[in-house]
Amino acid sequence: MSAVDKLELRLRALRATGRKGIAPYLTAGDGGSDVTLAVLRELADQDVPCVELGLPFSDPIADGPLLQAANDRALAAGTTFEEVLEILSRFRRGGRGELGRDLPVIVMSYSNPLVRRGWGNAVRALARAGADGLLVADLPIEEAGAMSSAARMAGIAPIFFVAPTTSEQRMTTAIQMSRGFVYAIGRLGVTGARTELDDAAQAFLARVRQVAGGLPVGVGFGISNASEVGAALKHADLAIVGSAFVEHVHQAVSQAAPPRRLDAARVAAREFLQVLSGGLPA
Amino acid sequence: MTTTLDTTRFGAFGGTFAPETLMAPLFELEREWKRWTADADFRAELASLLQHFAGRPTALTHARRLSRELGLELWLKREDLLHTGAHKLNNTLGQCLLAQRMGKSRVVAETGAGQHGVATATACALLGLDCVVYMGAVDAARQRMNLLRMELLGARVRVVEHGQRTLKDAINEAMRAWVGDPTETHYALGSALGPHPFPSIVAGFQQVIGEEARKDFLARTGRLPDAVVACVGGGSNAIGIFRAFVPDASVALVGVEAGGEGVGKGQQHAARFAGGEPGVLHGCYTYLLQDDDGQIRPTHSISAGLDYPAVGPEHAMLHDEKRARYSWATDAEALRGFEALAKGEGILCALESAHAVGWVLREREALSGQHVLVNLSGRGDKDLETIASLRGPEREGA
Repeated sequence: MSAVDKLELRLRALRATGRKGIAPYLTAGDGGSDVTLAVLRELADQDVPCVELGLPFSDPIADGPLLQAANDRALAAGTTFEEVLEILSRFRRGGRGELGRDLPVIVMSYSNPLVRRGWGNAVRALARAGADGLLVADLPIEEAGAMSSAARMAGIAPIFFVAPTTSEQRMTTAIQMSRGFVYAIGRLGVTGARTELDDAAQAFLARVRQVAGGLPVGVGFGISNASEVGAALKHADLAIVGSAFVEHVHQAVSQAAPPRRLDAARVAAREFLQVLSGGLPA
Repeated sequence: MTTTLDTTRFGAFGGTFAPETLMAPLFELEREWKRWTADADFRAELASLLQHFAGRPTALTHARRLSRELGLELWLKREDLLHTGAHKLNNTLGQCLLAQRMGKSRVVAETGAGQHGVATATACALLGLDCVVYMGAVDAARQRMNLLRMELLGARVRVVEHGQRTLKDAINEAMRAWVGDPTETHYALGSALGPHPFPSIVAGFQQVIGEEARKDFLARTGRLPDAVVACVGGGSNAIGIFRAFVPDASVALVGVEAGGEGVGKGQQHAARFAGGEPGVLHGCYTYLLQDDDGQIRPTHSISAGLDYPAVGPEHAMLHDEKRARYSWATDAEALRGFEALAKGEGILCALESAHAVGWVLREREALSGQHVLVNLSGRGDKDLETIASLRGPEREGA
């Protein structure tokens, strides 16, 4: 089974049962590779529907202050593209007695680190390391021809964004080009922006839901607590939690004594996920 | 409405690598820009502001003493004489007038040297628009007079404290501000870069420089220059003067980038064509200073306005087509250019423009006997503190 099928089947199955889920985001290498790996393993144990793994970039223009800081920390820790591949491969190889190695991982990147290697090479390398999907924050559908065909060839799901400003026609195209799910940006602004998912946002999400048909819908940008998870999942299948999740784990790791960092990361990830789960529909 | 790819590119370069939230605002901007720049009333109002408010046309000066000394004919297009002291006002008057026609109430802008920030604050004050300018903390410190000027003009200046804390980081923040409020806000990008349609909009508003210079040069000398030289940061003053001369095959076009400490290994600079490779930053595909992993490399220049890791996509095309040639001048060469123009011609030019003059000084042998037109993009008042701090020890020793 290709990664595309794995991701889409898993999310469609979730959708078919009427269940909805939380998809955490983490920046690869934030706190070091071992912390990232520990969090991924914890999320696999918690059986989240999928996870977004950010490839750090020096100039993340779509991100707010918390994820900018996470990108800076990851780069300062020496996280390279190769290192992210290594994290993914280690996660896929798994450890003794570990379950959940089939947790779908969606790599989230900016264009330049991938353009640097060439879309074909970069996407093939990600697929080989075990990525299931790819999201590129500054790659709209107009520029995505090379990425899209490289992803199809490599058996990895290309995922595109729709925003409240997106026209009907673009929304249709973005959904047709997406595999696995379509990523709806719940509100204007960068990641971590804190405004309510108001009536206009809900109307937008209802519109995405309608156009998407059977394709699952993920909502992200600014979801940080259980009630926002609940609001996001009114029309969508996945609530993507980035800034708040990253910051929660970062605080726990930075306050832990060095030998306890990996445990602290796992505990923080588990506990925060439990808090957010309060917003899941019964 | 979508735009076909070819209209967004300059050869292989340019494009629209923007977050999805900005795509609709970019399409709207492209539509409105095409509509209003074809509108007779808009054109007449902009022309009137450029003449009666900004002071166009600007002078074309023959640098008499330097020409004799260097053994060539040196001519200066005097954008330093434009209101606010640099070419930037050509673009901000155009964009702010456009923003007004589009019904936007707020304009955000980035600034490096502060000249684009001052020009945006000025146009917003003139047209009654709310103005927010993002400026890196390093630049705010080295250009604090411009920060004060912006505030006096009624703009709010947000100092950017992360990243390298220079122009690149100010652009990141201005784009984030635009993503947050694309309906009410216009982003007045200051150089000929960023996602389509910005490179075309900015070049379009700046090409008046070359149109005037070409006409005046012909009228004064009866011929075209052998070379047109301009400093290149993002590249708006350079593309502004180049465009009119691109069809004149006999005219060499020379862009001078910031050579910083030098362009050798381990030295810091902002010479994208000397040390960069194509990639994507701030919405466009162009030459970038980046590492093997695609991370943007730190830059250095004595001039804040050239201290930027990417170059406008039209320059990338002119470079690859070999229609323009790109060289560099170091910090030290720029300072020599600054002094030569000050003592030899009575003009204190901006440290950015001084790179173009410094290049002419270095290449004087090769340019011997030629008619060389330099775009003097701005005046040097903003740089006096930088120069004073460099001269400090020398004066004590004198």
